[in-house]
Amino acid sequence: MGTYVAKRLLLIVPTLIGAAALVFVIMRVIPGDVALLIFGGEAGGQIDAKQLADMRQRLGLDQPLLVQFGTWLWGILRFDFGNSLWTGRPVIEELLIRLPLSLELAIAATIVSVLIAIPLGMLAAIRQDTWVDYLVRVVSIGGLAIPSFWVGILCILMLVIFFGWGPPLEFTPPWIDPWANFQMMIWPVVTVGYRYAAVTTRMTRSTLLEVLREDYIRTAWAKGLRERAVVVRHALKNSMLPVITLVGTEFAFLIGGLVVTETVFTLNGVGRFVVDAVAHRDYPVVQALIFLIAFGFVVVNLLVDLTYAWFDPRIRYR
Amino acid sequence: MAAGARRSFALSIFVALAVVVGLAVTAVHAADTPRRGGILLAVIGADPPSLDPHQESTFATLQLVAPLYSTMLQTDPYDYPKVIGDAASEWKISPDALTYTFKIRQGIKFHDGSPLTAADVKATYDKLLFPPAGTRSVRKNSYSAVTSVEAPDAGTVVFKLKFPSASLLLNLASPWNVIYPKKYLDKDPNYFMKHVMGSGPFKFKSYTPGASFEGERNPDYFVKDRPYLNGYKFFISTETSVRAAAIRSGRAYIEFRDLPNAEVEAIKKQLGDKVAVQHTPMTGQWGIAINNMAKPFTDERVRKALTLGLDRYTMGRVLFPLASLKDVGALLRPGTEFSLPEADLQKLPGFGKDIEKNRAEAKRLLAEAGYPNGFKVVLKNRNVKLPYQDFAVFAVQEWRKIGIEAEQRPLETAAWFADGRDTGNFELIVAPTVEASDDPDTFLRRYTTGDPQNWGRFSDPGVDDLFSRQSRALDPAERRKAILQLQKTVLEHAYYMPGLWWTRNVVHWTKVKNYVAPPNHYANQKLQDVWLSED
Repeated sequence: MGTYVAKRLLLIVPTLIGAAALVFVIMRVIPGDVALLIFGGEAGGQIDAKQLADMRQRLGLDQPLLVQFGTWLWGILRFDFGNSLWTGRPVIEELLIRLPLSLELAIAATIVSVLIAIPLGMLAAIRQDTWVDYLVRVVSIGGLAIPSFWVGILCILMLVIFFGWGPPLEFTPPWIDPWANFQMMIWPVVTVGYRYAAVTTRMTRSTLLEVLREDYIRTAWAKGLRERAVVVRHALKNSMLPVITLVGTEFAFLIGGLVVTETVFTLNGVGRFVVDAVAHRDYPVVQALIFLIAFGFVVVNLLVDLTYAWFDPRIRYR
Repeated sequence: MAAGARRSFALSIFVALAVVVGLAVTAVHAADTPRRGGILLAVIGADPPSLDPHQESTFATLQLVAPLYSTMLQTDPYDYPKVIGDAASEWKISPDALTYTFKIRQGIKFHDGSPLTAADVKATYDKLLFPPAGTRSVRKNSYSAVTSVEAPDAGTVVFKLKFPSASLLLNLASPWNVIYPKKYLDKDPNYFMKHVMGSGPFKFKSYTPGASFEGERNPDYFVKDRPYLNGYKFFISTETSVRAAAIRSGRAYIEFRDLPNAEVEAIKKQLGDKVAVQHTPMTGQWGIAINNMAKPFTDERVRKALTLGLDRYTMGRVLFPLASLKDVGALLRPGTEFSLPEADLQKLPGFGKDIEKNRAEAKRLLAEAGYPNGFKVVLKNRNVKLPYQDFAVFAVQEWRKIGIEAEQRPLETAAWFADGRDTGNFELIVAPTVEASDDPDTFLRRYTTGDPQNWGRFSDPGVDDLFSRQSRALDPAERRKAILQLQKTVLEHAYYMPGLWWTRNVVHWTKVKNYVAPPNHYANQKLQDVWLSED
């Protein structure tokens, strides 16, 4: 087990360097120049070639690409992700402003979705082809089909139109004002949690159905065990492996992937930050965020793999 | 009833009436009397790239920090575009118009307690006009006439010019030219990209990038009894419907830039007389740059056919409710001092009201140029819906009527700037003009040879000469003549295709008092006279 974990940890290094190199190249291949964008804006700006050249030099964009990449990698080793080309502030500082919100949203949405999805998925599986199953399937397919941001906009509009009330416009951490935090976060958590629960419900239902058809389950029924014991003790645990994988990867996605939901609910999260940075050609920010998001995915995957052993004692890592 | 009792009754009625009338008068008076206190809550559609207005050109920077600073001059909040003093109390211009002398008010303090003097104004303008290495000044070309700025004593600033500049005073009133303390600039000319130290009606309180920006009342502000507000707070949201919902729910009281008509109608329907809408024309025009270096647009007949093919009058009726684009005009805002008169405008290609005649002429010109069946062309655009894409969709379907098949190609902002401004990699591209005032120098410079904003890359010595002449003309009549001729020349040769002039809706709760929306979203943002009738 120890060797396995060490191997997986070592594999993180080439994975991350690969991701970093890929993002570095892509950001420089796509058209657009951050120096020009900085002079841009609605008023257009009146610039000359010298100002543009000075700006490129100041941003370090006049250096050869390999030098730029090397400098960036050397910075990462010292946990220095550089400064945003757009705002001039350290990337880590910018990230720390946004990370608590994204983490809270991801964790809360994951909890909500798991709390909804596992019981519903189980119910649909053990009551297969009854009205209960059909209802769960309709609700979960609805969750998959309707975009989260649309549900979000609908939520806000209904609150505003029917109650003249809208969620707060600014994030307050739960340790400062739990009530204000709840008022703001409940809507995106429900919106995202619903979509996420829809995926997980369907996965729980189908894997549980598969396990319920296994011989050992038939044996359990034949022994006269109660339904609760058969489903919860014998079937559910064994059907959880794909569900855990799904929950893990979705969680990692939620940290950086909720761009539109963050925009709709005025959440100053990591997802919006990445997209704005791409639009601004803010290379250090995009590289750092993709690097950290890739790191998050790798770590979550590792944790998911390790939890397999707990759910299925037959699995032994070497 | 006895006579005494009747008298007492009548007296009591009279007293009661007097009290009621008195209360009513007091209430009316109270409603009109500025009230001190309250925090103005606003929503804004973008996060600023930095906090330094000298180096930025987006409203996102200016609207947030303008209340924190003084400028030397300003446009009158109640009488745009009249220029009035801010830090400068008075000024005089030498008879040859080559020396401008400004008197700086005494007693203005920066928020750190240090006095604002002529040395600070000089340091500010030196940074703007002659930006030190490693800084940028996006509007420095507007001051090309200025050779030096001097501060002979603590209360006097002198601008020396190499040639007269008719636009100088208006450009010195630019809201972007906020005054910085010299001692901070001496240490780091980029200090103000991340920090704030001004002398405006409000002091910096907090800024959370991507989320909010907050200022609090400056008790030492040099204008007596101002500001009325205890503070202001902007919430940043890039989503239009979210900003509109914030107004509807009362989480914010005002959106200073623009909300589309559909959102405005929904807000009015829900909130009724609790909200007011200030609808103003804008110093912004949406048009199309034609690449004059690329075939077939090197042929004037083809360019003219394109502009003749646009029915601008119908376009204004269709796009106004959707995208706030409304007025037909030339290169300066219709109805302003230097705009082309309606009669002259209608004689120019594409501006006549008989669209069928225009289309017939367009087809004739295309046939004459060797394109009797039209041709295919790509219209590049910014991938921003309002008003860019709605505008382009209309143009594309108009050109189809004269046989030109245009394909709209939306580009992400960076690529749009790169193709339009940097490389000229386009045939046609949507290229708006949005400025902080109606100043002809600012609006017309882009039509001169080699200007970075001349996306169409055309060169006409006649236009260059007219620009230079109008810029230096101190006689308004002489200047106007040159400006009108310049506009006619650009449009007669169809170097560029103006589309429609923008308008804006400033929506606010009626409890927000004393804010007058100017014709752009840059000026009148100091908020020193704004007050709230209730919290």
